[in-house]
Amino acid sequence: MKKVSLRAFSALLMAMLIVVGLFVYVIRYVKDGEMWALYFDESTSGCEYTITDRNGTVLAKMGSGVKSYAEDANTRIACYHLTGDYTGNVGTGALKSFQRQLSGFSLITGIEERDDVNLQLTVDAELNLKAYEALNGRNGAVMICNYKTGEVLCMVSSPSIDPLNPPEVLPDGAYINRCLSASFVPGSVFKLVTLTAALENLDDIYHRTFSCAGSLNVKGVSINCTGTHGEQTIEQALANSCNCAFAQISLELGPDIIAEYAEKLGITTSLTIDGISTASGNYDKDSSMSAAMAWSGIGQYNDLVCPYAMMRLAAAYANGGTVVEPSLLGVSDKKTTLLSSDTADKVASMMNYNVVYHYGTGKFPGLNIYAKTGTAETGDGKASHGWFVGFLNDDEHPYAFVCIVENGGSGLGAAGSVINTVLQAAVSK
Amino acid sequence: MADTIVTAVSYILPLFAIIVLIRCTKSMLGNKSQTEIWGYIHRDDGVSLISHWENLIGRSRSADICLPYQMVSRVHAVLIRSPKGVWRIFDIFSKGGVWVNGEKVHGTGTVVHDGDILNLAGNSVRFRDISEKQRDAIEARRTQTWRRVHPAVTLFFLTVFQALLLLELCCTAAAENISGIALGFGLLILLEWFCYFAMRSIRRTGFEVETLAFFLSSIGLEIIASSVPDEMFRQMIIVFAGVVAFFVLGWWLRDLDRTKTMRLPLAVISLVILMAVLVLGREQYGAKNWIFIGSLSIQPSEFVKVAFIYVGAATLDRLFSTKNLIMFIAFSALCVICLAFSSDFGTALIFFITFLVISFMRSGSIATIALAITGAGMAGFLMLRIKDHVAKRFSAWGHIWEDVWDSGYQQTHALSAGASGGLFGKGAGNGWLKDTFAGNTDTVFGVMCEELGLIIAICAVLAILALTFFAVRNSGHGRSAYYSIAACATATMFMAQVALNVFGSVDILPFTGVTFPFVSRGGTSVLACWMLLAFIKAGDTRKGASFVVSSPEAQTKKMREAEKA
Repeated sequence: MKKVSLRAFSALLMAMLIVVGLFVYVIRYVKDGEMWALYFDESTSGCEYTITDRNGTVLAKMGSGVKSYAEDANTRIACYHLTGDYTGNVGTGALKSFQRQLSGFSLITGIEERDDVNLQLTVDAELNLKAYEALNGRNGAVMICNYKTGEVLCMVSSPSIDPLNPPEVLPDGAYINRCLSASFVPGSVFKLVTLTAALENLDDIYHRTFSCAGSLNVKGVSINCTGTHGEQTIEQALANSCNCAFAQISLELGPDIIAEYAEKLGITTSLTIDGISTASGNYDKDSSMSAAMAWSGIGQYNDLVCPYAMMRLAAAYANGGTVVEPSLLGVSDKKTTLLSSDTADKVASMMNYNVVYHYGTGKFPGLNIYAKTGTAETGDGKASHGWFVGFLNDDEHPYAFVCIVENGGSGLGAAGSVINTVLQAAVSK
Repeated sequence: MADTIVTAVSYILPLFAIIVLIRCTKSMLGNKSQTEIWGYIHRDDGVSLISHWENLIGRSRSADICLPYQMVSRVHAVLIRSPKGVWRIFDIFSKGGVWVNGEKVHGTGTVVHDGDILNLAGNSVRFRDISEKQRDAIEARRTQTWRRVHPAVTLFFLTVFQALLLLELCCTAAAENISGIALGFGLLILLEWFCYFAMRSIRRTGFEVETLAFFLSSIGLEIIASSVPDEMFRQMIIVFAGVVAFFVLGWWLRDLDRTKTMRLPLAVISLVILMAVLVLGREQYGAKNWIFIGSLSIQPSEFVKVAFIYVGAATLDRLFSTKNLIMFIAFSALCVICLAFSSDFGTALIFFITFLVISFMRSGSIATIALAITGAGMAGFLMLRIKDHVAKRFSAWGHIWEDVWDSGYQQTHALSAGASGGLFGKGAGNGWLKDTFAGNTDTVFGVMCEELGLIIAICAVLAILALTFFAVRNSGHGRSAYYSIAACATATMFMAQVALNVFGSVDILPFTGVTFPFVSRGGTSVLACWMLLAFIKAGDTRKGASFVVSSPEAQTKKMREAEKA
């Protein structure tokens, strides 16, 4: 019997494991309990709250178990990705991401059913409407922020749906907020990254000229340019968006330096905005110094960029190299320095040169605009993605912006005109 | 108004759960247990007490009667007292042999009388039985200090706990369900007090094990009231049937000889049932473990759990027989294989864990366990390869948030609902998890956390652990190894279920969908839990505590009557 009773302690081993398991659960509960509790809508159904845009327009309202959205159908559609829906289909939507602000949680009492919470977002629903109209049914994304305060004024993704009356057949990718959760081939907007690297690594860059004969032969593979640009300064090369010039610069810098800058400037890392993680971009190092490497510095090859990261970079150029981290919830006090103010100013002035000498200020009446276009080949036979990235050098309207029109063709024609429409509305406010 | 009551009550409720738990634990573990004395062994150099019905004699220090002489094997012989008071000695393959009054002991053992000389490998000792009078005198000296924690007071606190639960439910339930819920709780309170007074009337005062089971049952009833109020009455009937089965099995276990005769028939019946399920069973949610007879649905594997322990436990003389062990391993393997084939993966795992503990307690030989683990491991691997959905459950483990609408559905919802309840819960009947798929069975831990709070949910787990500590503690004082092994195996089975249920639903273990003892909604499973409880009750040898253990006074009386006849 002694033997049996000694061996009975093996049952205590199991008891010990259960105690350990309970500890693990309690520790996880302390750490993640809030995330768990707020994840599903059922847990928070007793809460009452309203989400409005910066002007007080109601975007979503929950009270006494009744869930509603904006009154106007077009506003619902234009602000769908901003607001999300009650089912949580849009992972980055405010209803889901800002659950914490909408309904409280404490480890002691669990979900706290607050009454009358009002969450005001920085976005202007009217600008969203304008942007969605300007996209005119094309897939794409528009995002604008104030680079002095970080406030995001416009965030639109297309295709979108009306959460109140969702269509039977969902458009492809309708739940994805393309501003934050998608990354695209950047094309020439990536040249800003290469340029930044060149300005800081190639000493004589301002004294050199780059010749373009319409194409460049790299190890037997020809890199085609958008035109035959002849002899150019670096400013002209950027304005012309000359592939031959940037292919040479890329090969000269090499993949390591470009990758380093892509990371430093926030292109290849996953960023966060108010705690929401954004899609990370991509830059594959090709160390063979072949045409692929040259293309990688021109925003082709395997390059990918999230629109949000591009807008943030533009905001950094606008603000002397330091970005006021964008926010959907109010004026931001978080700042990150991406590059030296000297380099930022140099890039900024070249972005102005682009508009003045190449794109034409006439396309942007009344706007002191600094920008870079991108026309990214998608390689699937469809029309290129049109990009337009930049900012307004205007103390009253310090706006950084990004626009991508998927398969929209030229950057200037497609994305540029969308941005013009939205910015005109923004500055006239 | 109703909201305020629910909130207020939800803050008080854990207090009563903790009081009940602490009082029961204190009563079960709080004081030193006292050894019973059944005889003596007189050696040349002293006297050894015989404090069990089954005693191992040997040189080993872990032997009950340690004879530290050369030539005596580490485990040499087993001395066993039958319920009728007859002593018998068995030689368990000792090198030196055993003689009683000069006659060699063979396989079936030899009866030993008071004053007989036992010779173990040349070493002689004298066996002294004790007379009935002596025993009575010794027994009377065993004090009753363990009853410092009065069971009626504990039960009173439990009743308050149940009344408060009922109050919460009355505030939250739909008007048409209130009468049914009140009736259910009323019956439960009546039942537990009836059991208490019935035990008092036969002068049995240990009621902690039952109190803990009633505590868990009241949480189970709360979950029924909250999720399927129509079934309140049905569930009460099941609890009632369970309590009856508990008493019947307990009474049956009192007589060890009677108990032993049913081991083989039960083993055969169990295997037949399991195979019948394979052929006749109906598949429900991926596992083929249900039999439908008319409108009645039964999960036979739950009954086999009881049989498994009944068959698996053994008396000391059999423990050292290889044949017995091989039979047991074969029986276990067949059970696990049958369960695996019916895709009842959770139950198979519970059997396997219980098997490990039983076989360790039986033999302690690492080699046997290693063999068993290897076998089961290979079978498990095979099942993983064959059964896609089982593999899917394993692949979802640790990745539940990546697929909250499919493979991670139950776990993520349980975590979310559970966390939203905080420490005190949203109040009985106020949750939403109970309405999700298998909310009141597989993810019942989440429902407990959500509606009653983390404190009570942890108390429910601790209640099972308290039973375990009780079983382990009693194992040294059990009259027979049979009871000790059965009690510990039962505790292990309960714990295995708790571990798989709780940690499966919160993603610490892979999700297997087993029930939480006494709490999860279910007919067969609740019934089986009450039956298993009888094994734990059988290990309780505190004086006058357990109805399963007949008191020595009663035995003497019985024996005298038998002699007269």
